[in-house]
Amino acid sequence: MATESSESEEEGKIRGGNDKLNIDDDLREMGKNAAWSVSSCKPGNGVATLRDDNLETYWQSDGLQPHLINIQFQKKVKLQLVFVYVDFKLDESYTPSRISIRAGDGFHNLKEIKSVELVKPTGWVCLSLSGTDPRETFVNTFMLQIAILSNHLNGRDTHIRQIKVYGPRPNPIPRQPFQFTSAEFLTYSTLR
Amino acid sequence: MEAMLVDCVHNSLRHFVYKNAIFMCERLCAEFPSEVNLQLLATSYLQNNQAYSAYHLLKGTQIAHSRYLFALSCFQMDLLNEAESALCPVNEPGAEIPNGAAGHYLLGLIYKYTDRRKNAAQQFKQSLTIDPLLWAAYEELCILGAAEEATSIFGETAALSIQKQYMQQLSASVSLNTYNEERNLTSTKNTSSEDYSPRQSKHTQSHGLKDISGNFHSHGLNCGVSNMSFYNTPSPVAAQLSGIAPPPLFRNFQPAVPNTNSLVTDSSPKSTVNSTLQAPRRKFVDEGKLRKISGRLFSDSGPRRSSRLSADSGANTNSSVATVSGNVSNGSKYLGGSKLSSLALRSVTLRKGHSWANENMDEGVRGEHFDDSRPNTASTTGSMVSSDTKSCDQEDETMSLGGTALNAQRITIGVSEILSLLRTLGEGCRLSYMYRCQEALDMYMKLPYKHYNTGWVLSQVGKAYFELIDYLEAEKAFRLARQASPYSLEGMDIYSTVLYHLKEDMKLSYLAQELISTDRLAPQSWCAMGNCYSLQKDHETALKNFLRAVQLNPRFAYAHTLCGHEYTTLEDFENGMKSYQNALRVDTRHYNAWYGLGMIYLRQEKLEFSEHHFRMAFRINPSSSVIMSYLGTALHALKRSEEALEIMDEAIVADRKNPLPMYQKANILVCLERLDEALEVLEELKEYAPSESSVYALMGRIYKRRNMHDKAMLHFGLALDMKPPATDVAAIKAAMEKLHVPDEIDESP
Repeated sequence: MATESSESEEEGKIRGGNDKLNIDDDLREMGKNAAWSVSSCKPGNGVATLRDDNLETYWQSDGLQPHLINIQFQKKVKLQLVFVYVDFKLDESYTPSRISIRAGDGFHNLKEIKSVELVKPTGWVCLSLSGTDPRETFVNTFMLQIAILSNHLNGRDTHIRQIKVYGPRPNPIPRQPFQFTSAEFLTYSTLR
Repeated sequence: MEAMLVDCVHNSLRHFVYKNAIFMCERLCAEFPSEVNLQLLATSYLQNNQAYSAYHLLKGTQIAHSRYLFALSCFQMDLLNEAESALCPVNEPGAEIPNGAAGHYLLGLIYKYTDRRKNAAQQFKQSLTIDPLLWAAYEELCILGAAEEATSIFGETAALSIQKQYMQQLSASVSLNTYNEERNLTSTKNTSSEDYSPRQSKHTQSHGLKDISGNFHSHGLNCGVSNMSFYNTPSPVAAQLSGIAPPPLFRNFQPAVPNTNSLVTDSSPKSTVNSTLQAPRRKFVDEGKLRKISGRLFSDSGPRRSSRLSADSGANTNSSVATVSGNVSNGSKYLGGSKLSSLALRSVTLRKGHSWANENMDEGVRGEHFDDSRPNTASTTGSMVSSDTKSCDQEDETMSLGGTALNAQRITIGVSEILSLLRTLGEGCRLSYMYRCQEALDMYMKLPYKHYNTGWVLSQVGKAYFELIDYLEAEKAFRLARQASPYSLEGMDIYSTVLYHLKEDMKLSYLAQELISTDRLAPQSWCAMGNCYSLQKDHETALKNFLRAVQLNPRFAYAHTLCGHEYTTLEDFENGMKSYQNALRVDTRHYNAWYGLGMIYLRQEKLEFSEHHFRMAFRINPSSSVIMSYLGTALHALKRSEEALEIMDEAIVADRKNPLPMYQKANILVCLERLDEALEVLEELKEYAPSESSVYALMGRIYKRRNMHDKAMLHFGLALDMKPPATDVAAIKAAMEKLHVPDEIDESP
């Protein structure tokens, strides 16, 4: 699981955020294999800004709430974490306040799996998709939808600077039911 | 004047003062334009790493040696087509390849890099028949997988052919000797040079080297080659003796050559008189000398040699040189000169066949086998040189005739010694490239300790252990190799991979740092650095380092393969495939690249391709249990489970220490519903690797299928204790919860 410094959760509220992204080794970014789309955008601040690894550029919505970001994969993938970079100091009333994450097979059967409220966030905010049960560490889905339900200070449109989606690394050795842990197995598991 | 200039050039080349050599040579060519001088200039350029200059200089020349030098420059500039047409002109299919063994070797390399492997193998074989001591050609044959047994290459026929060459020279020298004797009596060591050659100048070094070289070249392959080879043998010795006095060129020739060539000096007394010989005899003079030299080399005629040497060295040298100079025009002064430089170069170059510098200088590169044995003989001769008697002449005379018989014997002994050494090394090399590593190791063990304990052999041993997946032993061997030759980069890329497997990040980073500081431009150093980063999971940087290695030497297959591995880890399969294919283009027998491609296809579920590639890897290296286990996995995925099981059994037998085939076998058995057998295998595996969570997890799954819930719970619990990664934890816990529910259909294979 990712580590974060300043996070406090009270009934789904998240304060602050992290400057850096600290990710475990066994997770990897899954966004490259997905199709990203948004419900609306201002020209010049489109969906590409969400994935450009540049925290200066941001996506600005231009329509009615809820604003939606859709992430569609070609096959079912396991996802564990969603990181969103937002900054209250820079964006003020454009900063999202309530976010709902939905998952499903397509637009027709999305179901909410997570709902959080952000309080003056500044930096990377981690939205974990896991349930309490260890069996539910991952969400296995075709599509993820991030819905911005409301903004700080009741702003109409929202700014989001970057989004990253993380899932588990696949087994480096293909077609194995379980991954290897012991040294003896790992030494013989690959040639280099 | 011409002779002086030529002399000067040779001298400069010998002492590595290339600027001077090039300058003087340009004056020489301007004053006396001739092809031979052009060759000399080209040689100087090649020595100075200016292949492009040599290229433009020699374009269009026809003399055999020029064509060879031209081909060499083209090769260094990567213009393989031109190189090939120079060596083997299109409109003269029957033309002889210039420079005998070396020419064939160069042509073989050209064929190899242009993908004509059969032709390449043929060329290498040819060069070995001409000169059985051209180890580099044999090594290339091993890499191509086309090598015959070392005993046949370095066997009887080889011995005979080497002996024949030496014998020719010996007989030639005999005739010379008699002549020499007379001369010796008449000439004094202090005669000035004027007596002799027409072009003679007072300068001791004015031996019409040029002439000699000219002659040499014109004689072409026949004696020339053998002479050269002869000459080469002494070369290491000569190189060692650098401290001695001047007359560089003499080496070849006569007695005078003392300093530079102790060997030469040996023969010198005999052939002092040679100088006066006429043109036709020149050849013989050289041969005679060479003969003597070789005889001396292999023999332990200490006193004689030392006396000769001593006679030659010091003041005598100059005078004798002078006397010799008469002959000079014919002799192999040039050879001598060239030899010296080549010798020196030889001693410096690595064992690998790509010692172009050597080849540059020698018309017939032999003695590429700068075996470690050389230094031994070299040192002995060296010590001899330091003797300081004067009366070698008398001894020489008596020696002259009797010596020949002894020489012949010594030659035989020497030849057999060399060949036996090469046989062992060659066989070891061949077996290790055929991946019959245990046999190769046994073969290397047969070497005498002093040879075993050298960089090359120890890295080969390390490589063999690496192929056997015995990383600890490999590490030991490589460590010793580094102690033996701390500045050699040969095999260090494999060493870094061994450390990567052993997860020794401290040692690996230390190795990488050392290699980079030794040679920033060697691909092996960057491979080691890349492995270091890869071990720390920084795959992007590792990839950058491997790409750098590729840039430095695109013909280094392993760098391409490592790039491929990094791309695969980063899931960039397209580039990964390209890298592996590049590696295969360089070396079709690089089984790691075949394996890499198989893995990519396995991940992409292109099972037919994957099976094909694993099978290719298996064909190249049939003793690797890892390849076998992956081949089995691919077969199982293709639903050919029976074959898969067979291969797994083979893999288990091939390497008892590898637990993976057993695990895969259990997996396959589970899929085939042969649960009991699977359990047996897993029990056995549990003993071997008690802390492997996947074993317990699989057992738990089997017990669950069997509805033995207690055991299933127990094993799942054990599996969780081993701290598997998160996905597995999820899977296992899910399985535990649903113990009482039949297996879901989408459980992983």
